[in-house]
Amino acid sequence: MDTNFPPHPVPDRFDPFPQGIEPAVPIEGYPNTWTHTPAQPLIRRPVTRTEATGPLDLWRKLPCEESNLAVLGPGRIAQGQLMHMSGRILDEEGRPVRGAVVELWQANAAGRYYHPIDQRDAPLDPNFVGNGRVRTDEEGRYAFFTIKPGAYPVPVKDTWWRPPHVHFSVLGPSSLSRLVTQMYFPGDPMNEWDRILQSIPDAAARQRLIARQTHPAEVGDGWIAFTHDIVLRGRYATPEA
Amino acid sequence: MDMLSPSSQHTIGPFFPRTFFTDGDNDLTRLNAEARPTTRGEPILIQGRVTKEGGFPCINMILEAWQADAAGRFNHPADPEQHLADPDFLGWGRAWTDAEGHYEFRTLLPGGYDDPAGRRAPHVNLTVMGAGLMRRVLATLFFPDFEDANAADPMLNLVPEARRAKIVAVPEGERDGVRVFRFDIHLRGGVEEETPFFED
Repeated sequence: MDTNFPPHPVPDRFDPFPQGIEPAVPIEGYPNTWTHTPAQPLIRRPVTRTEATGPLDLWRKLPCEESNLAVLGPGRIAQGQLMHMSGRILDEEGRPVRGAVVELWQANAAGRYYHPIDQRDAPLDPNFVGNGRVRTDEEGRYAFFTIKPGAYPVPVKDTWWRPPHVHFSVLGPSSLSRLVTQMYFPGDPMNEWDRILQSIPDAAARQRLIARQTHPAEVGDGWIAFTHDIVLRGRYATPEA
Repeated sequence: MDMLSPSSQHTIGPFFPRTFFTDGDNDLTRLNAEARPTTRGEPILIQGRVTKEGGFPCINMILEAWQADAAGRFNHPADPEQHLADPDFLGWGRAWTDAEGHYEFRTLLPGGYDDPAGRRAPHVNLTVMGAGLMRRVLATLFFPDFEDANAADPMLNLVPEARRAKIVAVPEGERDGVRVFRFDIHLRGGVEEETPFFED
């Protein structure tokens, strides 16, 4: 990927998350949140240089060249609904974040992950691993070619189901802009029942985790397409020069 | 300009791909697996165990480390001495815990630096992510070598005195001539057990 563009301007102001945006924990029916979430009050710390900075050259450590998850090789096409997934990484002022590292992973069409920990009795697809990593371009854009993931049950007492979703991990220009989140599909009734999505108190914030489908007439007959923008923490105390 | 709200955090879940990891991801002394290690600073090992309530190990927790170079500088425009930062040191690494909850980083003993908030003692910021953690958990590791600097560190001083020792790594001898520091992370427990965590 072309890396000859100037790095993203570095935000120098980080406000706490607005109310209702952060998940409310622990979550009923999600036992791990009751045993893992810190019980003692978190200590709010000042933003010193270690927090304000982050690795700007991360692509030198993490190869950012995997954007096609749906086609492993000639004739090796993943099962399921082929899907183009793209969007922009923005900061809180709506500026595109250039050169951000975007990691995506997901279940296969049957709702199973290619991961040794996922032992569910659902088929693995020999032509689908389900993870990719790219770097955003000058306009903050990322894009992946993949398949629409399946839903799957959460293996706990009183099982509930995860709706189809895609995991995103984004590494931006500062430690404070680090974000791990998930994306959902519009119109799926299971979204309303998902304990993880519903742990976000603010309805508008939940809505912002749901992708938009592009009209098929604009996409053609090869695949369906969704767009999804992700906003990282970070503003500017001083206007950009 | 209209402000946008940041996207909500979610858990990284239990299935963060093993295939995302390549050799050298948990080695901060090298830019990547092919690169030579930097020649500046003292290489060290940081080892520890991540546990949950009851002291049970956490499998497949993802840890990310971020720190200054051996002279306390960052290769980042927010550092006024960026031009002097070690060009062979990225300052970032990632590790995952095995079935016993163990993780390891190879890195450099970081330097301290002057910050508007006060003189920072040498430290490593650690982010912990994993199943059951809907938000990133933020820890900072200090070193026992720097008692005076630690006593003056503006961040360590925010931690109640009785809990401070929990975020100072414990020396544990040497391996292949490299000093080993132990830093266990206990995610949830009583005030005597739980690791002090931060919010920013």
